[in-house]
Amino acid sequence: MPTDACLDPYVRCALSGAAQTALGVSDSAVLAHAPQGCNYLVDGAFSWQDCDYAQTTTLCTKLCEDEIVHGGEELLARTILEAKELDISALFVLSACGPEIVGDDIVAVCEDMQPKVDFKIIPIECAGFRGSQYDGIDLALDAMLRTLAETRPTIPNSVCLVAPHANANPTWMADLAWVKDVLSRLGVQVVATLTHATPLSDLADVAAAEGVLQLSHDAGYRAVAYLADTFGVEPLCAELPLPIGMTNARRWLTSLGERFDAEPIAENMIADGERMVTETCRRRWPMARFFYRTPAAIVADATIGIPLVRFATEEMELTPALVALRSANLDAERLLERELNELGLAPQVVCGTDVYTTRRSLEAVRPRVVFGSTIERHASEGLDVPYIFEVVRPVRQFRLLNREYFGYRGILNLLECIQNEWSDRWRSTQRRYAARW
Amino acid sequence: MEPDERDDIVFHGTLQQLVEKVERGEMVPKLQASHAPMCKFFTSFYVISGIRHVVPLVHGPTGCPLWVSDIVRTRECCEFRGVPLEPTACTSLDETNVIYGGEGKLLEAVKEADERYHPDLIVILSCCCSGIIGDDVESVAREAEKFVHARVLALRSEGFGGDFRSGYEDAFELIMDLMEPPKTIRKRTINLIGARMGPSLTEFSDDLDEITKLLHEVGVKINAVIAGGCTVEEIRRAREVELNASWCYDWGQKLGDAMEARFGIPYSRTGQPYGLKATEEWLMGIARPLGLEKEAERVIREETERIRPDLDYLQRTLEGKTAIIEISEFPGPIRALSLARMAEECGAHPVVINVHPYTIKERMPSIKFLLETGVNPEVILTKGLFRLGSFRSSRETERELEGIVSSFDDPIFFGNAARYPGCPVVNLTLLNPVYLPHYGFRGIHNIAALLRQAMENQRLPRSTLFRGMLYGNETS
Repeated sequence: MPTDACLDPYVRCALSGAAQTALGVSDSAVLAHAPQGCNYLVDGAFSWQDCDYAQTTTLCTKLCEDEIVHGGEELLARTILEAKELDISALFVLSACGPEIVGDDIVAVCEDMQPKVDFKIIPIECAGFRGSQYDGIDLALDAMLRTLAETRPTIPNSVCLVAPHANANPTWMADLAWVKDVLSRLGVQVVATLTHATPLSDLADVAAAEGVLQLSHDAGYRAVAYLADTFGVEPLCAELPLPIGMTNARRWLTSLGERFDAEPIAENMIADGERMVTETCRRRWPMARFFYRTPAAIVADATIGIPLVRFATEEMELTPALVALRSANLDAERLLERELNELGLAPQVVCGTDVYTTRRSLEAVRPRVVFGSTIERHASEGLDVPYIFEVVRPVRQFRLLNREYFGYRGILNLLECIQNEWSDRWRSTQRRYAARW
Repeated sequence: MEPDERDDIVFHGTLQQLVEKVERGEMVPKLQASHAPMCKFFTSFYVISGIRHVVPLVHGPTGCPLWVSDIVRTRECCEFRGVPLEPTACTSLDETNVIYGGEGKLLEAVKEADERYHPDLIVILSCCCSGIIGDDVESVAREAEKFVHARVLALRSEGFGGDFRSGYEDAFELIMDLMEPPKTIRKRTINLIGARMGPSLTEFSDDLDEITKLLHEVGVKINAVIAGGCTVEEIRRAREVELNASWCYDWGQKLGDAMEARFGIPYSRTGQPYGLKATEEWLMGIARPLGLEKEAERVIREETERIRPDLDYLQRTLEGKTAIIEISEFPGPIRALSLARMAEECGAHPVVINVHPYTIKERMPSIKFLLETGVNPEVILTKGLFRLGSFRSSRETERELEGIVSSFDDPIFFGNAARYPGCPVVNLTLLNPVYLPHYGFRGIHNIAALLRQAMENQRLPRSTLFRGMLYGNETS
């Protein structure tokens, strides 16, 4: 565990996570009550949520020394009024470190301004110092649920989905799409997704869901608890790793099938999916499959990292020697521990790793294979790690199309990633002689 | 319709007139929410991380360093620039630190950073949080130096504490504290100042490569490119040079003036070397004080001869034309004005469109310098520039640009291919390395090639795909 005095972090601050969450509500705008630099975090969140800049506007109060000395509430009020010209249903007002320390009361300003505008104003107090981006996601979900969620009659066979965006797959939207497709085939209605392209009205209806599926091991625990405690929404698949790899997908689908009395459908999906993966591999014949018990490191968020342990061990026949997770929360740590015990593995485990700790851990463990990101590619320089499978943000390869890791196509996407890295490793960088033409 | 008859134009006059309006506060944007460039912290960070073996130690929460480190450091520097992965350390201030102060944690962080990374220099960068709660970063830096091997400096770089320019300037001033009294004066040696390349992405190296090549041909030695990947040792010896020169007047100006005032090192004041005259001025501005005029004249003569066909083409093609210039991408107005000068030199009438008054305000000393040197083009600002939201602003300015271009005879657009003005487009984007550099003689060759492409292919259809992506289709 790294000390927190001198951290080279993987994970951004609470403002960033709150912005990621707010930008997942469609037909809305985000106003950062912040100096102009913090707005770049909001811009980063914009691409994270796959927003279309033709449809989503981000605003900033651009606080300067004057507002830090005299307070920025008046400027915030004026900027909210400026947003009147936007055709939106909701405006999320996010506070950064500066205004929170000087005591700007964004909640009061939003209340005052609410009668003057046609859209709903939702304040989220999410200064960077309140925690990591995962804490920011929790703060934003909390603000949304407390402000917008209403008691509704329960809709049978329905769920809401929590924190799909707390997932370091660069195209996590495909994971969400896979989940929705699976639920639809099981006859389960998705009442609301918290959040991705979520209409504001869905947030009001969220408590009508019979169950709640948390799609992250990094964030969303508080929202699930709130929905369960306040509205009696039942947490589903809570003790299972997310569905990456054959066994995880099978367990996850089986659990949902049992819960919604759709076992035959789930069994068919599992059988079809496993057959499809095997047959595709037989046809395409991936060569990168001779890693038998090669020591591997997994450096990722908990959402991808924990299920990857089983995928690496079972499908790839690797031996995880290091599991370094970017976040640190007890629920995820317990889940990882269970997985490791079940598999009989005893790798070095680091929770809440930073770049320095990762480097040192890689140095100590000396894995031959790393599941990670571009950061590990560079952080492992000089350590003779032949293969870096870039599966979590940031990755070098540009993706125009979303690729899931969840489910059966997800297995193929991971294998594709592994195969391409394997080919790169074998690529000649020099020619022994020149051709004559 | 003549430009002045259009109701979407909010300013039409000379650069001088625009500057006067900005100074009177008339053109200062009313919308706080629009146009948000980087904050002071980011730009300070950029400069500092342009020094090798430095630990920028951010005294703040994790959001501040991560924007710069995660995207810029890893992707741009390690992948594209051959820079190793360098640390971005952070004290990760939390709620407790905000209440009780973070100075103790900071001191520990300096010690840890020294032990972990073995740097030559640690620079503590304060953020909004640490600035507001009043952590005394300078005292911590002084105290910490007693315990570590590296030099430790502190920079007050709170995001709210100034505009993005002040971050560059304060960081350059801080770097001066590392400069030691000269043991000798190294003949015909200069510093190139005002650069911000290295572990952070700031500038494109091709332009710097071109002017470095020219200087070597003239016989000028470079001690350091500050802070374009220079070492602490090079900075220490920065006072041993005969002259400072900037690769861009705007960015070097503050450091150049300060080193001249404090150390008596002369500073060559010239604009960006776009086009023949500016390149000549830039090179002679360095060669003359170093006694290398003859060598410089020879290089200029040879290089000019080499690109003679390009110069002839530029002159022949631009003569009598209107050059509509819009530089919406980095680095903005100074580049637009440098291009305006080049276009005028080639016989065209330059019209600079949509330089944001905010950026004029931020770059006032440099803009005034350019005015003094006679750069005073026609400027048009449109309503769309001030619209709320980047999509609405870019869509509206695109429509306005198309209208304005159609009101001129023989227009040629100098900007980038993200515009569809219905006339030849000289694609001056910095995102196509094939046609870089733009500086110096190779720059003239490249700009001539881009002009030729624009003129010879103007009848080919433009991409409805990319246009739709940028500006939406008619229904969006």
